[in-house]
Amino acid sequence: MTLPIPVAPAPADEAAVPPIPAYDLGRVPYRAALAFQRRAVAARAQGLAPDVLYLVEHDPVLTVGRSGGEANLRLPAGDYARLGIEVVDVERGGDVTYHGPGQIVGYPIVALDALPSGRDLHRYLRDLEEGLIRAIATFGLAAERRPPYTGVWVGSHKVAAIGVAVRRWVAFHGFALNVDPNLRHFDLIHPCGIRHLGVGSLASLLGAAPSRADVSARLAASFSEVWGRPVQLASADFAHV
Amino acid sequence: MPVTIVVPQLGESVVEGTIGKWLKKVGEPIAKDEPIVEIITDKINIELPAPSAGTLGEITAAEGVVAQVGEKLGVILGAGESMPKNGSGAPAGAAPQGSAKAAPSTPVPPRSEVPQGDAPLGAVAAGSRMTPSAPMAGGGGATTMSAPPTPLPHGGEPSEDGQRLSPAVRKLVKENGVDVSQIRGSGMGGRVTREDVVTHLEARKVAGSAPGRAPAAAPPRMPAGTPGGPSPAPAPAAARAPVKQVPVPSYAAPGAREETVEPLSQVRKMIAQQMTKSKHTAAHCTVFDEVDMTSLVEMRGRMKEKVLRDYGIKLTYMPFIVKAVVRGLREHPILNASMTDTEVHYKKYYNIGIAVHRDQGLIVPVLHDADRKTLLQMAQEIEDLGTRARGEKLKLEDIQGGTFTITNAGMFGATASAPIINVPEVGILGVHLIEERAVVRDHRIVVRWMMTLALSFDHRLVDGTPAVQFLHRVKELLEDPENWLLDAI
Repeated sequence: MTLPIPVAPAPADEAAVPPIPAYDLGRVPYRAALAFQRRAVAARAQGLAPDVLYLVEHDPVLTVGRSGGEANLRLPAGDYARLGIEVVDVERGGDVTYHGPGQIVGYPIVALDALPSGRDLHRYLRDLEEGLIRAIATFGLAAERRPPYTGVWVGSHKVAAIGVAVRRWVAFHGFALNVDPNLRHFDLIHPCGIRHLGVGSLASLLGAAPSRADVSARLAASFSEVWGRPVQLASADFAHV
Repeated sequence: MPVTIVVPQLGESVVEGTIGKWLKKVGEPIAKDEPIVEIITDKINIELPAPSAGTLGEITAAEGVVAQVGEKLGVILGAGESMPKNGSGAPAGAAPQGSAKAAPSTPVPPRSEVPQGDAPLGAVAAGSRMTPSAPMAGGGGATTMSAPPTPLPHGGEPSEDGQRLSPAVRKLVKENGVDVSQIRGSGMGGRVTREDVVTHLEARKVAGSAPGRAPAAAPPRMPAGTPGGPSPAPAPAAARAPVKQVPVPSYAAPGAREETVEPLSQVRKMIAQQMTKSKHTAAHCTVFDEVDMTSLVEMRGRMKEKVLRDYGIKLTYMPFIVKAVVRGLREHPILNASMTDTEVHYKKYYNIGIAVHRDQGLIVPVLHDADRKTLLQMAQEIEDLGTRARGEKLKLEDIQGGTFTITNAGMFGATASAPIINVPEVGILGVHLIEERAVVRDHRIVVRWMMTLALSFDHRLVDGTPAVQFLHRVKELLEDPENWLLDAI
């Protein structure tokens, strides 16, 4: 069964600042989410769907972006299959990324023209980082960028990864924030090809894992600020299908 | 004009990008804004939309090359254009479509410049306008067109006043000397239908105008210019002249072959996609078996009232069937698997999709972990999934993660079907009407409650033997529920 795509709600009259609904879809197999994203991008590009932020969680999976290579996989490809970890090639930029339970993976399916960044791709990346940094800061953690790399770090620990693709000027893919993943799984790769920096999570840095709902709400709030549009957590009840 | 593809401005700090995959090949047609090439910069991969429509004429930046903003990547040719280095100067070569509309640069004079009735051969392209009074022979000529889009009947033109007409309507129009441009079309996209022409003719008749124009003047069956057009042959059947005409009832009068047009719903589009995908990937094969459901019918008959009274659940056959299927899948794991080009994925969990009919269109909610649920739990959950499916209250997870599907075509009376596999699953069981049939037991004809089972399986992954064995196992289990249900409940 294919996943449904939300149909665009009637545009509000005060269309100046249309809100961005955020749906937490829960655990979604990576490939299903990928197919879903691709359809969602097409729907958004055709104006059939609004800008949306999807939040998901994946089963353990390694995704290899367009700049990636087997070099940053630590094991022969076959070994991952034996560990039950899929390796998937994807169209986003960036290198190897791990996704697994305990992460909040965010897929903003947004038309770049409707965001402050416009078609400035680096600005879009910096804005994603900014949204994450502000959300993490509300937990009292000093999160920061580490140029020239893309992503978000607390100290020397990378807590969020970013990789984006753009089709018909609609962005997809997005970010993965480590809330409470099994950090040992990151040993399976050199995250994003960066070999000398460690990986952390909100749980490892705070000593206790905040709830997914709590983190989602803070992300919605921080992205509302950064994008200048209300990001509203909505129930993922696909009533229209 | 050929259009140069360049690396666009992608942001203040973006000065260069690496060329990723070319999504189009040289010579491939391109629509405007269609993604043509990937450019990778930092953590973003952007698919560059085509700046114009045409065909990809040339690629000047190969995959993996780093290109600066503004640097040329390739060329898009308009219709009828070719790469200059070919130097042949033959403009027609690149545009086999032969459509004057698509190639404004080809030397076809616009219709308005062609004196009516004096159209030079070859100047009239398909799709251009011709009035019915223009000479037919000229219209059909089109000698320079490399490929006329359709064979032209009776030497006539394919369009009247730029309109697309069905052959029947075109004939009617011609026979009656009607100017189609005077008729407002009511068909698809404003198309003039037979009904429109008839109405128009009747109105004309009522108006009593145009006495000089005899309607329905005997239509020439052959083009006027054809030499030696045969006169109607004497009817060979004249010897057996009919005594009576076949009576024509009033309802047989030519009526509107009415159609209505509705947009496809999102749900229907998705169903269509999924079905086609399945038929295009899975190698469908269906096997059938007959199940004697008599024991189960009796057993359920004894249970259902109590279940309804105590738990408020309507006990259907489906939970029993799911139980039997899960047991069968455990013994034949290949049917609970899925495949990629290089791997088989055996699922050690049993998520059973149950197809539900809704007015909006089919949906397949999934009963998760069916191997870890009791009959009653399943009965309750199946009922709930069905209710929520029809009430449009399914959650995303309700339709995800299926490993095998059951579809009940019997709900509306079907006795057999060959279901379509719900890919990437590799098997789907069709269950059907349970009805009393006369069957032979011990040399005697007896009445038993019977049901046909159909298993469609993906023959790429599943051989016939395990498929038949699985189906037979499900049959055995359903025929003798007392023997195994106790330890399975």
